[in-house]
Amino acid sequence: MEDDFIIEAQNVTVRYGELTVLEDVNFKIRRGEIFVIVGGSGCGKSTLLRQLIGLEVPTEGQIMIEGENLSEASADDSSSIMKKFGILFQSNGLFASMTIGENVKLALDSNTSLDEETADRIIDIKLNSVGLLNYKNFYPSEISGGMQKRAALARAMALDPDILFFDEPSSGLDPLTASALDKLIIELNAGLNTTMVIITHDLASILNISHRVLMLDKSVKGVITEGKPDELLNMKENELVYNFFNRIPMEG
Amino acid sequence: MSEKNELFEFETEGDSITVKPSGELVMTNADNYDLKQMPISKDTKKITLDLENVERYDTYLLAFIFRIEKMCKEKEIEFELIGVDTDMQSYLDLLMPKEEIEPEEEEKGSKFVLKVENFGNNIKTQLSDIHDFVEFFGILATKAMKLIFKPLSMRWEDFPAQVFRSGVMALPITMLIVFLIGLITGYQGATQLKRFGADMFIADLIGISITRELSPLMVAILVAGRSGSAFAAEIGSMKVTDEINAMTSMGYDKYEFLVLPRVLAVVLSMPFIVMICNVVGLFGGLIAAISTLDITVISYVNRLEMSLTYGDIASGLIKSIFFGFVISSIGCYKGLKVEGGADSVGRMTTSSVVAAVFMIILSDAIFTFIFQAIGI
Repeated sequence: MEDDFIIEAQNVTVRYGELTVLEDVNFKIRRGEIFVIVGGSGCGKSTLLRQLIGLEVPTEGQIMIEGENLSEASADDSSSIMKKFGILFQSNGLFASMTIGENVKLALDSNTSLDEETADRIIDIKLNSVGLLNYKNFYPSEISGGMQKRAALARAMALDPDILFFDEPSSGLDPLTASALDKLIIELNAGLNTTMVIITHDLASILNISHRVLMLDKSVKGVITEGKPDELLNMKENELVYNFFNRIPMEG
Repeated sequence: MSEKNELFEFETEGDSITVKPSGELVMTNADNYDLKQMPISKDTKKITLDLENVERYDTYLLAFIFRIEKMCKEKEIEFELIGVDTDMQSYLDLLMPKEEIEPEEEEKGSKFVLKVENFGNNIKTQLSDIHDFVEFFGILATKAMKLIFKPLSMRWEDFPAQVFRSGVMALPITMLIVFLIGLITGYQGATQLKRFGADMFIADLIGISITRELSPLMVAILVAGRSGSAFAAEIGSMKVTDEINAMTSMGYDKYEFLVLPRVLAVVLSMPFIVMICNVVGLFGGLIAAISTLDITVISYVNRLEMSLTYGDIASGLIKSIFFGFVISSIGCYKGLKVEGGADSVGRMTTSSVVAAVFMIILSDAIFTFIFQAIGI
């Protein structure tokens, strides 16, 4: 279990022209853990996420998903690797012209040959697991922001992915709704053993849900530390980390 | 008796059937577990689902159990679930709905009533759309009046850029199209006129048709496709991203900030585009005339001078100003009507072009009658 790594970033460097955003980033994520990536604005969190989910290929280095190299995979291979992911985007990415049920069904239609009745059952189960069964026929614009996040989560989970990526899941949510979403993430992780990779700024969320935290900083264009959340919270020897986790503004 | 079907095994004993799926009971493997294969008969009294041999599973497992359970309920057959280990039980407990999921019954009503209801709703939507447009037009007219007395009320910074985009940038394509229209009209007309020995009248035909109808109409249709749709998409996207709300909250008026500069830019650009296109269209006709008929450039120009009146040119220019107003106001109106997300932007953009083209042709017909009546 200890060495069952599902994701490995090996010497990942990302450059856009002359601008280097990430340099020689290395980390490993264990199967079934809730792994949080944090860092100040502009440190490259979103850039790293785009590499991890295969939307971009690193300039140097590689991303390994269950031992398969996503960065060097052919279009067909990377598509089959990407089926192992579910992604909850910051702005949900729900299709506004489809109902919540149709949004979930879309993921099933493109990847399975389930008959209508079974697909319908699975949609109900997924929506039930995020508490939205009664909103199956609602359009995204007809439900609240928190519900939209949960609907997007149901769609991300439609194919029972091994890994779920979350980009700022609590952005735009009130503290209670954000906390309810955290609880749901913990429940799903515990019950389904799905690996969760979360990019967030929300300190309460980081401390509540994460098993391990990776912190990026733009001063080093990469990882400045990695550890359990309570370790990072008390890491007085590293001013950057301590200030970040204790919300102390940097001088100058 | 035992029936084997690779991964889906059934054991029949008297009036009981034991269903034994094995292997990977996952969504991508669902084809192997077709419930139609189950040997259910009228005498079947009990179905036992044994999950002992299932090696891997996902949500499909629960959907699979639900479907067999539902089938048993419908046929009044006893159902039993066995072979569920602790891990599988916790998985099922996590996903199992607290209340039984029943597919929602669709609201059923008489088809006739539904059709009448839909028809009524469509009429209501159309009427409300007309009401909204009249309201929009009223506000726009008020703002335009205000502009006369308070010229600085409009955001003039945006105006040159709008003139450039809607007018100058539209010139190449409009000139090319009207040139080709002149050329085509010339060739088509020349063939007919030659038969009657009326070669010289080609200049009359080209001159009047281009200046009165073809040039203003073609320019208007192209500008509707370029600028009208762009206005709807631009303003619609701004609405989706709350830019218009932000603008309003800062004390700016969306009509003075967004609508008036666009409307004014198109209204003022249109006659200039049409004038330039008139010249290009007449040139296209000239090429057709001299290449197919026995006339010279000088005689074509002389005949044009005789046949074309100021009224012909003015009528085309007056129409172009009105067309410009129709295109830009419909584009802005549709942009402001956007609600929701990207799909609404798309719908309103399409709708702006369709509505503008329809209104251009309708108003062209009305102008023709009016000009006829007043002798222009």
